Amino acid sequence: MSPWEKRERGGLYYTRSRKVNGRVVREYVGSGALGELAALTDAQERQRREEEAAAWREERECLEELAILVDELCEDVETVARATLLAAGFRQHNRGEWRRRRDQGTSIKE
Amino acid sequence: MTKELASKNKLAVRHYEDRPVGCPPGSDPAAMTKEEKEAHRDTVERLKELVEKAAKGDKKPLPEIRKILKESPELAWQLMDFAKYTEYHHTKMMVKEEGPGLKEVLKAQIAAMREEIAGDNPSPLERLLAERIVLTWLQIQLFEGLYASNMSKGTTTIAQGKYEQKRIDQAYRRHLSAIRTLAQIRKLGPAVQINIAEKQVNTAG
Repeated sequence: MSPWEKRERGGLYYTRSRKVNGRVVREYVGSGALGELAALTDAQERQRREEEAAAWREERECLEELAILVDELCEDVETVARATLLAAGFRQHNRGEWRRRRDQGTSIKE
Repeated sequence: MTKELASKNKLAVRHYEDRPVGCPPGSDPAAMTKEEKEAHRDTVERLKELVEKAAKGDKKPLPEIRKILKESPELAWQLMDFAKYTEYHHTKMMVKEEGPGLKEVLKAQIAAMREEIAGDNPSPLERLLAERIVLTWLQIQLFEGLYASNMSKGTTTIAQGKYEQKRIDQAYRRHLSAIRTLAQIRKLGPAVQINIAEKQVNTAG
């Protein structure tokens, strides 16, 4: 819906719409120079918000990419660490501490 | 690894200067060929499968796990290079327009931290785990810095704030998990420092 409302007697009237308690409330700002100024201010504010949102999206995408790299790396390192422990004759007890397998000799005291 | 990140800084990653004698030459993850990346990925994936089986009490995968670790001494170093590559992008994002001075300070701090965590004469596994701790710490710093910066601007929406908080929590969990693994390895002692890059003579530290 255009913020410029056409009046019956001619001319345009600038309005702002916003939500109050879930209902759209229309605020009548003015016509002529006042309306133009309000429209310009709103357009600038809109542009600022859009730029901020775009910057946020870009930052978020970049961070997501980095987070994926870190996740992947952490998982790979964990795999190598666990593989090394298993190869050295240890086993993980109940997803917790690592203990030497019985058939691998003496157990490691915690 | 995205094409965008890869193409930006092909020569930006410096490898370990203290790489022990006999270890494979440094690999720039951004410059790795598709085949090299696939081979690395395949090895890690296979290892993952075997580790999962072995974790359920199956002893059959153990010889193959030992074989992979023995035959792929470059695995740990490749992961360390990946970590450095990721670390580079974190620092780059953290300093942004702050200038080269801060970047150097941060690099020095990271290097000191890495050395302190890895300790004297670390095994390749300890180095790798230390690297992961440093990286996850760096991630926390990045996320917290961005959160604070966005909050101070006063433009953060509730949804954005929640998202950033969630991201920080995840980073903390990763960091704690990294610390826990290194602590476990240290607790178990030198018995576990076998196989991984075992042919290398560690001259560092």
